[in-house]
Amino acid sequence: MASQYMLPHVQQPPSFHSTASQPRQHQWSPYTENGGVILGIAGKDYVIIAGDTRSSEGYSINTRTARKIFDVGSGIVLGVVGMSADGEELARKVARRIDDYKRNHDKHITVNAAAVMLSRILYAKRFFPYYCQPLLGGLDEDGVGAIYTYDYVGSFEREASRAFGAAASLITPFLDNQINLKNQFVPGTNGDEPRKPGDLPMDRVEKIVKDAFTSAVERHIEVGDGLQLVRVTRPPPREAMEDEEEVDEREKTAGGGVLTEVMSELKKD
Amino acid sequence: MSNPFTLNGGACLAMAGKDCVAIACDLRLGQQALTLSNNFPKVFNYGDVFLGLTGLATDVQTMHSLFRYKVNLYRLREEREIEPETMANLVSSTLYERRFGPYFVSPVVAGINQRTGKPFICGFDSIGCIDFAKDFIVSGTASDQLFGVAEGLWEPDLEPEDLFETVSQTLLNSLDRDALAGWGAHVYIITKDKVTKRLLKSRQD
Amino acid sequence: MRFQGILISNLQLCHATRLQARQAKLASSTFTNRNPLLTKNSSHLTINLHTPTSTDLTMDVLLGIRGKDFVLIATSKAFLHGITVVKHTDDKTRALNDHTLLAFSGEAGDTIQFAEFIQANTQLYTMRHSSDLPVSSVASFVRTELASSLRSRHPYTVNMLIGGYDVKKEQPELYWLDYLASSAEIPYAAHGYAQYYCLSILDAHYKKGMGVDEVVGLMKDCYEELKRRMPIDFKGLLVKVVDKDGIRELEGF
Repeated sequence: MASQYMLPHVQQPPSFHSTASQPRQHQWSPYTENGGVILGIAGKDYVIIAGDTRSSEGYSINTRTARKIFDVGSGIVLGVVGMSADGEELARKVARRIDDYKRNHDKHITVNAAAVMLSRILYAKRFFPYYCQPLLGGLDEDGVGAIYTYDYVGSFEREASRAFGAAASLITPFLDNQINLKNQFVPGTNGDEPRKPGDLPMDRVEKIVKDAFTSAVERHIEVGDGLQLVRVTRPPPREAMEDEEEVDEREKTAGGGVLTEVMSELKKD
Repeated sequence: MSNPFTLNGGACLAMAGKDCVAIACDLRLGQQALTLSNNFPKVFNYGDVFLGLTGLATDVQTMHSLFRYKVNLYRLREEREIEPETMANLVSSTLYERRFGPYFVSPVVAGINQRTGKPFICGFDSIGCIDFAKDFIVSGTASDQLFGVAEGLWEPDLEPEDLFETVSQTLLNSLDRDALAGWGAHVYIITKDKVTKRLLKSRQD
Repeated sequence: MRFQGILISNLQLCHATRLQARQAKLASSTFTNRNPLLTKNSSHLTINLHTPTSTDLTMDVLLGIRGKDFVLIATSKAFLHGITVVKHTDDKTRALNDHTLLAFSGEAGDTIQFAEFIQANTQLYTMRHSSDLPVSSVASFVRTELASSLRSRHPYTVNMLIGGYDVKKEQPELYWLDYLASSAEIPYAAHGYAQYYCLSILDAHYKKGMGVDEVVGLMKDCYEELKRRMPIDFKGLLVKVVDKDGIRELEGF
């Protein structure tokens, strides 16, 4: 099976009429698309980043257990979708740089600083970009949820919610409607007063995330198998932690983000 | 650049509920990125049956007049209104007649069978392959968005008013994420003995 | 009756000229007597909506504005052949009947051929029925003809505006039709590059129920913009009004 990922030494099948004197064309395509979808939602005191665990190439499924959301340290998570090799490499690089920061400055990096750093990492490869769309999440210095979204070459923006990947076009309008309450109005105002978004409780958002993925699985072939859901929440207050170990654990993370990961199945019919 | 299905833009959606169906469309007519008209409906009715047509605008108009002609002849010959199932087969065979030079439309049929009272919706590709669906049918340039939202919002056995809300929310939120469709919408809620048509305001960008 | 007879033969003449033109074209073209819209590409069919001489981005100006009880239609006076101005007093309109005006642009030859074919047939209708075909019906007729031409061996590539005054309904109507036979009744319309220059002006300043002076003012704004921004001199506009009294030309453009 010829992979889309053509290596330079792989020769094209010889043409029937080719002779040695004729010019031969070689091509090398360094990129491939591995499907999948991720989404991030920032709340008042939490962040949820979720992704499916299918990794595919064309119509073939490479694995059903590929994680797309990475713990990059200091209470920050990075979701990547696109070409999984580039995504994983990017996550490794970001994790390494966040660790360097901690060792050099003896403090944790903030999410907004990490966001700028990721932008620079991406732009550094402006002419041979990482073929992936990253989504960075964590709690900012005020403990408020932050999602940063990027394009391939480092343009970025802080947003409340965003879906990236193969089924982004399916999920995005659903999130507009259910998270940002677009096209919804306060009952009885005859469509004059739009409903104000914000302050959704985390369990409600998790339900919406699950619904979004269930819909995407139903209608997109590159999405499916498992759901990886990562929450970043505030830790319990310091007084509540008498245990020394627990305080140490607290110190390991930055603006106070605690990561929890939930793995679940996605529907299979 | 020259895909006939996306030249003029437009979107259509049909949903089934409890003893009711709904069909809705946007109102934009454009030429690539340029909007020419914001009053170009894509849902038509022939007696009790409703037909939504998205795709190349000229073919939308041609198909509309062709089906008006065919259904009128059917009515004269049979002395009764056409049923949605029959309409579906008429649309299918009409499109397949042009198998190797198709009309560039993606039709949607919706209606209630007047004899059995059963809701009926279905969709087609441009050469007439029928897609019978129990839940909903989408078509047009916003079809990805419509699939995503409809799959998330639709539930079985919706009453007419709830179906209206579901269809409208699905359509409006999908249109807002498609640059080629939007500029207002028409929504029809069809029960056995009543049809309600509503004009939806939406973003004008 | 004799009167009718003459005019029927007039129509036949029209058909005949059209046929001759077709045959001339066929003879000069290479052996690809296939609808250029449909190109068979190995196993699957593809469509080419853009003919080599792109018809939707022409420098020919067609503009139409519907007012309170009239329609204003403006066309550029330059007859273009590529970048060459061949004539500077061209009239890209044909009166179809007393209250209907057709403006056209597109592939040279096709335009006049198709416009005069439509003109002959609407005039024939007038003679036969002793009454004019209303604007909406003319537009519908033109659309049907163009739509059947679209899927024929050699489709016409003509963009049109049809402006008219419906005497029965006592209202003006303006139809926009492109060479694919998409049609829409709209308050103001343009074809070619003029779309990109003028539609935004019209979006901003058009109001429902404007009088002749206001609409003429609006048309002058469009004219000034076109003169300022168009890369070629289109030799001014030929402006015509259609209202309950018929069709007349306006000066000063």
